[in-house]
Amino acid sequence: MSQQIYIRKDAQFELFEVNILHADDKQLIQISEEMGLALNLKEMRTIKNYFVQKNRNPTDVELQTLGQTWSEHCFHKTFKGTILTPEGKRIDSLFRTYIAKATLELNKPWCLSVFEDNAGIVQFQDDIAVAAKVETHNHPSAIEPFGGAATGTGGVIRDVLGVWADPIACTDVLGFGPLDYDYNKLPSGIKHPKYVFRGVVAGIGCYGNNMGIPTVNGAIYFDESFTGNVVVYCGCIGTLPIDKYIKKAKPGHHLVLAGGRTGRDGIHGVTFASLELTEKSEEVSRPAVQIANPIEEEKLKRAIIKIRDQKLASSITDLGGGGLSSAVGEAAHKYRCGAKVALEKVPLKYPNIPPWEIYISESQERMLITVPKMNLQDTLEIFASEDVEATDIGTLTTEQALRLTYDGTVVADVDMDFLFNPPKITKKVEWKKVEYTEPTFSEPEDLTSILVDLLSSPNIASKESVIRTYDHEVKGNTVLKPLCGIHGGPSDAAVIKPLDNSYRGLVISCGINPQYGKIDAYWMAASNIDEAIRNNIAVGGQRIALLDNFVWGSPEKPDRLGSLMKACEACYNYAKGFETPFISGKDSLYNESPLGPVTPTLLITAIGIIPDVRKTVSMDLKASGDLVYLVGQTYPELGGSEYYRRLGYIGCSVPVVRLNEAKRTMDRISKAIEAGCVKACHDLSEGGLAVSAAEMAFSGDLGMDVSLTRFPQSVPITRNDFVLFSESNSRFLVEVPEKAKEDFEAAMKGSNYACIGRVTKEKCLLIRGLNGEPVIQADLDMLRDAWKKLFGG
Amino acid sequence: MDRNNIKACIVRVGGTNCDAETKRSFEELGVKAEVRHLSEIAKSNNLLEFDILVFPGGFSFGDYVRAGAILAKSFSAKLNRRLKAFVEEGKPILGICNGFQVLVEAGLLPAFNGISKYPEAALATNLPIGFRCRWVYLKHENSGKCVFTKKIPKGKVLRMPIAHAEGRFMFPKDSEGSCLERLVDNDQLVFRYCDEQGRGAGGKYPYNPNGSFYGIAGICNPEGTVFGLMPHPERAFYGWQLPDWTKGEKPSEFVDGRLIFESVVEHVAAKL
Amino acid sequence: MNSAFTVFMRYVARVEVGLKPGHSDPEGETTRDSLAEMNYAVESVKVGKVYELFVEASSLEEAEKMVDEMCRRLLANPVKDNYKVSIEESR
Repeated sequence: MSQQIYIRKDAQFELFEVNILHADDKQLIQISEEMGLALNLKEMRTIKNYFVQKNRNPTDVELQTLGQTWSEHCFHKTFKGTILTPEGKRIDSLFRTYIAKATLELNKPWCLSVFEDNAGIVQFQDDIAVAAKVETHNHPSAIEPFGGAATGTGGVIRDVLGVWADPIACTDVLGFGPLDYDYNKLPSGIKHPKYVFRGVVAGIGCYGNNMGIPTVNGAIYFDESFTGNVVVYCGCIGTLPIDKYIKKAKPGHHLVLAGGRTGRDGIHGVTFASLELTEKSEEVSRPAVQIANPIEEEKLKRAIIKIRDQKLASSITDLGGGGLSSAVGEAAHKYRCGAKVALEKVPLKYPNIPPWEIYISESQERMLITVPKMNLQDTLEIFASEDVEATDIGTLTTEQALRLTYDGTVVADVDMDFLFNPPKITKKVEWKKVEYTEPTFSEPEDLTSILVDLLSSPNIASKESVIRTYDHEVKGNTVLKPLCGIHGGPSDAAVIKPLDNSYRGLVISCGINPQYGKIDAYWMAASNIDEAIRNNIAVGGQRIALLDNFVWGSPEKPDRLGSLMKACEACYNYAKGFETPFISGKDSLYNESPLGPVTPTLLITAIGIIPDVRKTVSMDLKASGDLVYLVGQTYPELGGSEYYRRLGYIGCSVPVVRLNEAKRTMDRISKAIEAGCVKACHDLSEGGLAVSAAEMAFSGDLGMDVSLTRFPQSVPITRNDFVLFSESNSRFLVEVPEKAKEDFEAAMKGSNYACIGRVTKEKCLLIRGLNGEPVIQADLDMLRDAWKKLFGG
Repeated sequence: MDRNNIKACIVRVGGTNCDAETKRSFEELGVKAEVRHLSEIAKSNNLLEFDILVFPGGFSFGDYVRAGAILAKSFSAKLNRRLKAFVEEGKPILGICNGFQVLVEAGLLPAFNGISKYPEAALATNLPIGFRCRWVYLKHENSGKCVFTKKIPKGKVLRMPIAHAEGRFMFPKDSEGSCLERLVDNDQLVFRYCDEQGRGAGGKYPYNPNGSFYGIAGICNPEGTVFGLMPHPERAFYGWQLPDWTKGEKPSEFVDGRLIFESVVEHVAAKL
Repeated sequence: MNSAFTVFMRYVARVEVGLKPGHSDPEGETTRDSLAEMNYAVESVKVGKVYELFVEASSLEEAEKMVDEMCRRLLANPVKDNYKVSIEESR
């Protein structure tokens, strides 16, 4: 007869002892599954051994705490684990080997806190720092698009609050399946992209708008693989006085839980993010979705900023994935303390929630701060003055143990050392060959109609109807808005002026192109870094820091892990090469659905500085007669391009990044902007030269007459379509007034550039081909209409 | 009166979020502006020490029930007598966006016969539906009654951004004609949405961004001292806030929104 | 003591607030369009809000009067909203 596994303890509340001491391997897995721990056999065995030594069974609270702390989401097991390559190479931690290494080696003095806290922190000016964080919230958004996206935004805002920064801007990059996806092809349990799209957009708008934080930058990308795996990146940027960044908690300091009450919402969100979505996800995961209350967080923010300014607390952390278990654990671990918490003190939304659920609940809008006893009263009064509930739930201790009680009964007692040393995992990678070949076809005759098609294709078309549902102006500090010029052109980056007494600005941009990831994850990562940086530089950004956010398939599958490793390698090479350190990042793995894995997707967010926002350069054309320059070399790189997609190909000639050339180009553009000789500047990305030229023209309502007879190239290209639609990296289109011609060319010295034509007052885009004959000729109204057709506002 | 002696009170509650930039706009003009939580104002009982009262933009109380409704009732419940006295003394009250919704819900606008017990107008769900953040053109229609637009010539076209989901101004359907007549006769009509040239928006999106009746964007009370508008003048204060300022060599220093703050500050300074 | 003679009862009031006839209902129209997209032929959709209020009063009449006042003062804006109240004793 088998032993009973779950033994109800004799208590006034619900508490179970889990009979792990007598459990065999099969039962260990059974326990992990039944309790939703998402731990593998090795981890379960490690837990068993620990309790064998302790000579007792764990409680449900202890097992749940371990499940949360060791989850992929909280511990990043894949990024911190060991990887073996087919060549026999052993990589000890992708994170340390690639991402953090670039930052470490660059050793920039303006990087104040990187990777170690809730958000990365860089210097803005003498006394002010900028904090930035980008999170993913894919799985919750797949189950409940509105709530998932809203709480994703709420969560990343708390990350920024969690480093004592006042949130000043949000960014959101979203990935959906095709909106015209065939309803009949949709497996049960997967929602139609249109439904997901509407819900996610509304959720993001709801949170940011309600909290009064402008959503200033973003992108929306459509890919077949996002149908089953929606991609929701939520980012937030904040500012803080450097001397108010206080993180020095000590034993004896009180743990104050503030904000919303705790309910059953979001139980098992973390472990759920570490599992693949299955048909059953919806049914079993519904309680994992959190409910958003932005007004609660707005009040919480006010109180936190007051407490920061009075320096009352000794540390702060947000409650995100894993809830209290993760926040208390992190707070104690970071300051080498133990902690004791009386769980019955946690304010609940409704009675009778068992201790384990209280401890791991992911109810939103909560923060944990540590406060020295002498400041406790003042702290609680500040929370009260903002109508925010705050409770002293425990203290940090000198003992190296986590001790949880409920009404005096000990419900968990685990050594900190054990809690924070999960068994290392070792995984194997394999390299997958590129599946695609370069197509052969002859040059289409009507390139104008192809340009029109590209402008109205989902990834290039204006996202105005979405952008306008986000308040991008609240706080009144948005200098360069997501839509610029008289006709709402697509800004390369957003510029914010965070301080009333200074014209110094913050530049926020991003780079993402999953289509390249289908061909080669390495060059996708390199291209995205290049794109994020060139977008930043195009408006006048300098001294750039990067954030990385990986959305990948299951790392249990060696090919997925292989491409992840390649992308990490590129991250190191190009962050180091461009001298743009990573300051924060996050990975979301296990994005797999019955429709297959997510296309490897890396979002690079770039945070730059502009010394004077009044020198910001926007992308819309400004004056007829000005010269138009193409800067950077064009190569026949069309693999993964929107042009190939339009023709039904993917190809394999993915754009690469030639570091030295790229650096030179970016450096010269920066100089030229600084010197004030650039009137408009736009980067070349999806759709290449033709799309960028069209966008600049119709945004400024001025024509352009340019020619391909003289463009910078090192490999001869003999086809107009390749020159027009190649997506080679590190290129810009620049408008320069005649009078600044010499200064501009002086600044550009040493880079590859050519004057290719002029801005005209005729409202027409005219591009002459390699032989000087017009290859594209179109009215601006027509181009603009095409661009605004899909999501115009 | 010296401008440094003018005190503006910017009211906030949970969900208010345009208080800082509104405060900044007053401070730029030399006025002492303070952001005060409603419970603080109620407790300290000093509303009448202020010269200007401002309900800024945001989502007070999460826009629950109806945008502005809860703050309107809560403010009236806590400070009814003092609020009445404030209005009766002719001290200016400004409501921006959510603040405009508050003033309408509180019966302070249009207040045809003094402060009304029930709202006499409504700011309904946008038509077309949805939250919308964009720049609009406004035509100044007031003939001099409104103390917030004294420095703006009648007929002038201004640019400001809107950012709201509930901004469709309306009167009761069965009396909208007579209400409008009254509004115009009393010189309570202040701003209407229009096109670049100042021609009436004619209910056409995007010029009329929310489907407001008669394109109404802002109105004042019969005395001209209480003023509410959906657009955000505090976001159209400096040249670099314009959506297309990069077109010029350099942003102009100040733009249209400033005129509203300048007008009321000058009015108060002259009066005191 | 007066209270000794007053028996307070508990009532639950269900308040439905909706737009008056003839007002545009963009939320309703959008919902209808979305349903139509999913191949449900719905002639029109009206959107409103439902509040459930748990109140104490000495009589049903008093409860009704109280809730009516609440509707007119907060829950509905008489310029555009209609409201409907149904009250019953609760236990």
